[in-house]
Amino acid sequence: MIDSAYWMALAHLPGWKHRRINELIIWFHHEKQIPISDFFQLPNNIWQSEYQLTTKEISDLCQAKADLPNLAFLAENLLNQGFELIPITSANYPSTLKNNLKTTHAPSLLYVKGNIQLLHENSIAIVGSRNASNVALQFTDNIAKRASQDYQVIVSGFAKGVDRQALDSAMKYRGHSIIVLPQGVLTFGTGYQTYYKQIVDGDVLVLSVFLPKAPWRPELAMARNPIIYGLAQDIYVAESSEKGGTWSGVIDGIRKGRKIFVRNPEPHEKNANELLIRKGAIPVSFSGEVLPPKIYPDSLKPDFQPIAAEPTTTPENEKQISLF
Amino acid sequence: MMTRNEAERILQQQFGLNHFYDRQWETIQSLMNGERVLLIEKTGFGKSLCFQFPATLFSGTTIVFSPLIALMRDQVKAMNRLGVPARCINCEQTPEENSNAIRDAQEGKVKILYIAPERQENNEWIEATRQMRLSMVVIDEAHCISVWGHDFRPAFRRIITLVNLLPVNLPVLATTATATRRVERDIASQMGQKIKVLRGNLMRENFKLFVARANSEDEKMVWLARNLEKLPGTGILYTGTRIATDLYVHWLQRNNISCINYNAGLEADTRIEIEDGLMKNRWKCVVSTNALGMGIDKPDIRFIVHTQIPQSPVHYYQEIGRAGRDGKPAYIILFYNPADRQLPDAFIEGGRPAVAKYERVIAAIRNELLGEKELMKQTNLKQTQIRVIKSDLIEQGIIREVTIGRSKKLEYIRNSLPLNSHAFQELRNAKKSDLESMIQYAETDQSRMKFLCEFLGDTTTANFNNCDNSGLQKIHIDFSSEWQQKIDEFHENYFPVLEIGTSKTALVDGIAASYYGISRVGNALHHSKYENGGDFPDFLLQLTLKAFRKKFRDERVDLILYVPPTVSGNLVQNFAVKIGRSLNVPVSHDLVKIRQTKEQKIFENSYLKGDNVRDAFQNNSLQNLTGKTILLIDDIYDSGATIKEIGRMLTHLGAGKIIPLVIAKTVGGDTL
Repeated sequence: MIDSAYWMALAHLPGWKHRRINELIIWFHHEKQIPISDFFQLPNNIWQSEYQLTTKEISDLCQAKADLPNLAFLAENLLNQGFELIPITSANYPSTLKNNLKTTHAPSLLYVKGNIQLLHENSIAIVGSRNASNVALQFTDNIAKRASQDYQVIVSGFAKGVDRQALDSAMKYRGHSIIVLPQGVLTFGTGYQTYYKQIVDGDVLVLSVFLPKAPWRPELAMARNPIIYGLAQDIYVAESSEKGGTWSGVIDGIRKGRKIFVRNPEPHEKNANELLIRKGAIPVSFSGEVLPPKIYPDSLKPDFQPIAAEPTTTPENEKQISLF
Repeated sequence: MMTRNEAERILQQQFGLNHFYDRQWETIQSLMNGERVLLIEKTGFGKSLCFQFPATLFSGTTIVFSPLIALMRDQVKAMNRLGVPARCINCEQTPEENSNAIRDAQEGKVKILYIAPERQENNEWIEATRQMRLSMVVIDEAHCISVWGHDFRPAFRRIITLVNLLPVNLPVLATTATATRRVERDIASQMGQKIKVLRGNLMRENFKLFVARANSEDEKMVWLARNLEKLPGTGILYTGTRIATDLYVHWLQRNNISCINYNAGLEADTRIEIEDGLMKNRWKCVVSTNALGMGIDKPDIRFIVHTQIPQSPVHYYQEIGRAGRDGKPAYIILFYNPADRQLPDAFIEGGRPAVAKYERVIAAIRNELLGEKELMKQTNLKQTQIRVIKSDLIEQGIIREVTIGRSKKLEYIRNSLPLNSHAFQELRNAKKSDLESMIQYAETDQSRMKFLCEFLGDTTTANFNNCDNSGLQKIHIDFSSEWQQKIDEFHENYFPVLEIGTSKTALVDGIAASYYGISRVGNALHHSKYENGGDFPDFLLQLTLKAFRKKFRDERVDLILYVPPTVSGNLVQNFAVKIGRSLNVPVSHDLVKIRQTKEQKIFENSYLKGDNVRDAFQNNSLQNLTGKTILLIDDIYDSGATIKEIGRMLTHLGAGKIIPLVIAKTVGGDTL
């Protein structure tokens, strides 16, 4: 991909929000219909007058432009090692991700290795805490088995606990899996060795949205969660505590009107599954069957929103705009 | 934009030159304009100035990918002398030197950084580029990009990818002196985007081209002994093999012509010393394989002689291109014996392993992520073969090399197409056709310069009258019986060393009575071995004894063993008995084969020869060999695999010293 360095420069503009980057992409790609390399060649006054960029933004872009030759060296290294770069304007960019995250949150560039066809298949995510109980892991295995039999891709985050179980089970049932890394693709080292056969056979895709050399950091792990949710059509929650990544991801998902299935907990379980169901998630049985909606005495609480209710209206700035 | 006048003022101050050639200025202007240029110009044109000059004006660092370490070294020295900060990174420098060069570049202290293309595979380097300010990329010897070129190098593959990823307005210059139209098109299309091709004419008016028909090596040798000193100045004598280099050096030295032996197998220090001596005209000529000269910046090489026909006119043009860069007359002589095509033929035919081996490698990598060593173990293929296969499979997009942690592994590319062995055939055909053209060059009665220019895609219609078909007197070789005697005597006193001694075994370097293909020895051997000519004639016995005595006069030998035969009956045994009688040393008949082996000559490479004889011998004698000095006799020494295997076995039995003694050593390409 000839314009890889340009996309890397744009996607990692320091301090820029996804929305701002995507707005720029919509302008040059969709409205002006010029290639990204031409956009970078535009003089500052055009950036200012036609794209209405601020002085700070123009200075950021100039910095990124100066960095292009260096990024070309990095991009060459990535391509040589078999990674692919998928910009948001590419037909390979998964529509599920775009539909779920929209202009506001969709990452403008994906780094992947493996079978990119997996990005376009039906998909589920199985999420849950890093130190999940045995019953949660068993549930994960059940869901992974069902999904694999139904040819659904299982999206997971390569963390301990539920994430790893989801991946391992997908492999066990000869299913397909997308591993969403909490780090850059170049720091996954031995992971490629471990999943070599699966990658070669087309059963696994490794994906990251971060700078290729970024090492694991808690912030990246948090930033990765929306990508997992975004890549999946359905989300299954094996076990959630009342805070942390799973919790905030699910709450965010419910707020955005996503369909989220939560394992119906046993009465004695000490986790927040019950609470998520109260907040609008759909309870499912141990084997993944949808259970009838629960009636809670306090179900008229203001934050209770049944999923089957009226479709939520999308705020103006999150409206999905075609990037093709 | 700078005017030519302004630029030439700077040129005067910085480089001490008054003017650019028009073509140089055209190139420089394009580069300063952020364009990409492929510049095809003959050696001596001043291609380097086309990037050195703009590099000094750019604010950042210019990276020059060059496969020629000698050239890097020379240019860095020259630049630094002119006050242009330049560094190089290559495998001949220490890691510290390389790290320092990188650090200087990161700190913005370097205008021109020369680097070997292989570095693009080095993670430290890739990491370092993140902190450099790059202003231009140069690819020197750009013909190495193309498999259709005469010197394709896989490491350039990544440079091409890099160039395509660079921002569109970063200036890129690719240069070469030798690109046919096909190679030119290939380079231009690989470099993609908008590339401007500038092609100069290849005519070298100052060359005097000769082809001398010879019927044997002896004829070439005698002519050189009689005429080399008559050629002006100093020059280079190219031979086909390292062994031939050695032979010619000994012969010329014996005839009081000062010369030295150069090949790629020498230590880096030795090579640098010889290159330096060449610059300083320390010898009349350097006798070398084609390893010498690429990038040597000597303006006044006055003659270049080839004793062996090169593989193609492109190889030839490239090699002779080094002569007469100062524009003064240079003598270009090719010796041509139709039988000489055997060597390039063998090279073209033996270029690639069998398809089954490729499939074996693909299957192994398909199944598991493997390093080169692991792959060798799994496939039971040797390193040289693995390297060829690896390179081809990467080229065909079937595998790729990745870095896992600190180690390199080979990985299978999903959904890749099956091996295309047709591509190999196509390449082989192209090479064969190039060799035919080279032979046409030798046999043509038309202008030789015109022939070369046309082959290289230069269609300028200049007046070509600088060869022995167009005005110059032809070289005829004839010599008196006096010279015949001299050369016979030389052969009979020139004993090739068998370089086989190692510290791991009791084997020492042995000696041969002669080379196989270059004297009457080969004919005599062939007659006895393959034409039922009876025992080896007595003159071979005398010659072999002479060789032995010359090198091992003071050696006390305890025992003679001989290599048991495969097809030639008792020839070697009878020969060993005669040697034993003459030296008064007992001959043992106890060295035997314990399994059938095939004739070594049917195997193409030394690895297979090694496999053929591994664990094939046994010494049946009850005699204790501990500490004994053994003379090990055979008729023909080729790869040395048999001697090595027996040496290993005898060392195991306690032998103190094993001296190999043979009648003839083969020269690469010999047909036995």
